[in-house]
Amino acid sequence: MGSPTIQELIARALTAYADLAEVAGSVEEEWSYVDDLRTAWVARLDAVAGARADEAADPAVVDAVEALSTEVAAISDPHRAIDWLSTFPQVALLALGEST
Amino acid sequence: MRFQDAAPDARAVVYQNIQADPLVARAAELLADGPGAVRILARAVMNGESVEPERWRTMFPGLFGPGADAADRERAEAVLDVSLRVADRGEQARSQFRGAIVEALTELLLRRRTPDVRRERRVLFDGVRAQVHPYDVTVETVGAAEVLDCKWGARGINGEVLLQLDDARTHAEAEGARVRVALVVFDAYRSCLVRLARETAPADGTRLATIETIGDLATRPAALRARR
Repeated sequence: MGSPTIQELIARALTAYADLAEVAGSVEEEWSYVDDLRTAWVARLDAVAGARADEAADPAVVDAVEALSTEVAAISDPHRAIDWLSTFPQVALLALGEST
Repeated sequence: MRFQDAAPDARAVVYQNIQADPLVARAAELLADGPGAVRILARAVMNGESVEPERWRTMFPGLFGPGADAADRERAEAVLDVSLRVADRGEQARSQFRGAIVEALTELLLRRRTPDVRRERRVLFDGVRAQVHPYDVTVETVGAAEVLDCKWGARGINGEVLLQLDDARTHAEAEGARVRVALVVFDAYRSCLVRLARETAPADGTRLATIETIGDLATRPAALRARR
């Protein structure tokens, strides 16, 4: 199986990101912040997916996004998850060679 | 307008031990230079669950991959080592270390521009009750004063912090002086804007230095706007 496209890779990343937002969303007083943060970063990642849709992802970038997704899947503390809602897209964009 | 040392309390004494830990100074030194990516690496690892270095190397191919610049890779390895040592301290200690590192980094960068840098200072104005909490870092150059509060993440931005910074700016103006006020946030500008959009406290006169621009503090005051 060949390398995924950038669009496919970002779609995978966004699945992990949605799970992370679910964990973060359990902090009731931060619910709207979590939602706004998620919306802002999903828009940024979607923009990259749209601009580089059919480009094949470098295997090292695929590995980076997989390692990142594995890392956030281990987070159960909702406060840490809120911090990662900001950190996750920064790391993903960096791996993709994009600015935050 | 004048600056004054904050009266030490029990919390400050405990926190001073963290600030004085050599790990804090080492992290600040490493993060002051090199590519911005090492700051994102530090943020991720110090927030992270895994203490397995290889996982972090995999996540940052631009720093650790075969095409990485040798000097950048060496710095990234050092940042990874320091960050894992912070992450290994347990939740409460790591939180204190992270805050202390952002303050130490801010101080170090500002000292490259001016020697008039102090920590944990209050700003006093005639006829105005002093703030309870001191500002994290101040530049006390006459005519070019700066007051900065430091935060590890955008979530640390709140109305109280914004009000305290704006107070310094507006009281200085009332005395015919000028004080630049800024938040230094070790997080992405985009996340800071999201947080700030929810706050009703005055922020138009406050500037930001974020994880993308913190290095610029060595050459000029924080410049990013708190609101778009």
